[in-house]
Amino acid sequence: MNVLQLKGITKEYQLGKSAVHALRGLDLDVGQGEIVALMGPSGSGKSTLMHILGALDTPTGGTATFEGHDLQQLEERRLVELRGHKVGFVFQTFHLVPTLSAQRNVELPMVFSRIGKRERARRAQELLKRVGLADRAKHKPNELSGGERQRVAIARALANDPPVILADEPTGNLDSETGNSILDLLRRLCEEDGKTVVLVTHDPEAAAIAHRIIRLRDGRVVEETRNV
Amino acid sequence: MFRDFLALAGASIAHRRMRSWLTVIGVFIGITAVVALISVGLGLERTIDQEVAKLFGVDTFILMPRGAFGRPGAARTSANQFSLDLAWLRSVDGVRTAAAVRQQTGFVEGPAGEDGRRVRGFFPVVGLSPELITEFESFLGTLEVAPGGRLLTAGDEAVAVLGHAMARQMTVEPGDTITVQGDADAEPLALTVVGILSAQAQDTPQQPAFAPGVPDSPDTIFIPYETMGLLWGRAEDVRLTLVKTDPGRDVNEVAARAEAHLRAQGTEVSAVTYTDISEAIGTVTSTVSAFLAGIAGISLLVGGVGVMNTMFTSVLERTRDIGIMKAVGASNANIMTLFIIESGLIGLVGGVVGTFLGLGVSAVTSAAIGRVFDVHVAVVASPMLIFITLLGSFTLGAFAGLWPARRAAKLPVVDALRYE
Repeated sequence: MNVLQLKGITKEYQLGKSAVHALRGLDLDVGQGEIVALMGPSGSGKSTLMHILGALDTPTGGTATFEGHDLQQLEERRLVELRGHKVGFVFQTFHLVPTLSAQRNVELPMVFSRIGKRERARRAQELLKRVGLADRAKHKPNELSGGERQRVAIARALANDPPVILADEPTGNLDSETGNSILDLLRRLCEEDGKTVVLVTHDPEAAAIAHRIIRLRDGRVVEETRNV
Repeated sequence: MFRDFLALAGASIAHRRMRSWLTVIGVFIGITAVVALISVGLGLERTIDQEVAKLFGVDTFILMPRGAFGRPGAARTSANQFSLDLAWLRSVDGVRTAAAVRQQTGFVEGPAGEDGRRVRGFFPVVGLSPELITEFESFLGTLEVAPGGRLLTAGDEAVAVLGHAMARQMTVEPGDTITVQGDADAEPLALTVVGILSAQAQDTPQQPAFAPGVPDSPDTIFIPYETMGLLWGRAEDVRLTLVKTDPGRDVNEVAARAEAHLRAQGTEVSAVTYTDISEAIGTVTSTVSAFLAGIAGISLLVGGVGVMNTMFTSVLERTRDIGIMKAVGASNANIMTLFIIESGLIGLVGGVVGTFLGLGVSAVTSAAIGRVFDVHVAVVASPMLIFITLLGSFTLGAFAGLWPARRAAKLPVVDALRYE
């Protein structure tokens, strides 16, 4: 069953007086429990695609469905719910709230989901333990290394136990050893928890954990390969 | 949820400690000024109330010509004298004692001088109930008689106390006799002078010999109230009546009853109690306080603009954080609430600091006023004042943060996440 389905997706931006065509009629299906790597040069539309998949942005044309629901037809309240419960985002630059400790950052999605304080703390500690940061829970992001921050971001993405993880160049700012441990973590999320992972990367090594590799160029899918 | 948002807002305020404090200073200066002015105003009102009660007596009321006391525009009567049956007034239920003051102009003849000539002329004659002196001491000014004389006492009949100018003019001394002619058809009365008011007491305008309303010019002749009846008949020339009620009786109720009865008989009088007087003074002090607090409110407005400025900067600085929060499931309403709580908190902290400082300033000011005027000025720190101030300061902050918060809430997620 396809969790994510895109058909003829287009996205145009207005940059000053000129229009930028970020996506030009893109089709993509992502099945449940699948790891899909999106690759392509800068400006090929990878991040824009991720934002549309995660309901952070709306396409200009085409149809995007999430678990069968047309994202363009969903009202704002349902989109907020989808961002909070169905999708976990991991960003290249971590995007942690600097004023909050690692644990409070992990708790953040649960705060907006109105989960009780005690339950939140229990789940946050459990997730931090799972990503190997149980002893760094009280540290603020500026007291953590890049790898640690990304692991906090992964723990946060898992806070509400969403079925889909969208990781936008999660190893882009990390050394190869740390990057590998992050990739291993994402792989295990798919294998052990049955999560669907969509991964944007430039790195062939990162793409190697994916079941399928989709190559984009100029806002279109130009190649699709399946890892054996 | 609210508690979580409070913690998130608190973390953000603590993160920008210096700027937050500077904003709080902007708020608390205004709050301090407003609280201090209101507190001093209320303190003065309470002090005036106490002083009036002390001076006037909580059991006393005055009957005076209608319109002589009260709000501008109240019904006024052209007459400044009214008719009164003092014996009836004393018999009214709840009245313990009453004293009245009548005034007429009489033809007065002094004793024969050494050359056998007498000084004659028309002079103001004031009839006083002796109770005025014995029962209403607080209404008397610096009433003093020259050595060798005395004031009017109960049981006096054909006696007089003279103003010092009158006595000098007629070369009268205590023990001498003067003749006063009242109504044309009444017999002239020979009155024995028992005392002469001291010049010093009568010539000090700041501290008159009698209460306001009692004529006391230096050429006045003061005679017993009952004696006035012998000269001018029924009392239709009363200037002022002081009434003391029985202990435990509601002075306002007794006063209203007496007033209503007299008015029903066509006597245009107003009954004035200490509450009327302190209310009248209170209206003036509250107006002044409200005006000053309004001026202080301008600095509050400036403080509010400071909060708004800080919140706009905060929204700008945390654009990416807003994007992150939205990406992990925050709704527009969540973001707006978060920022409103944050600005409200800044206002509230300003309110707490401002309230304490304001009460401190009020205490110092009250002490200074008390020292200058030699009274004890109460420092009013009512829970209601504190509650309203704190609620008001939170509201001020929250209101100032409304616009920036709305702007934060409306930021598109992707744009916010991309913000550098």
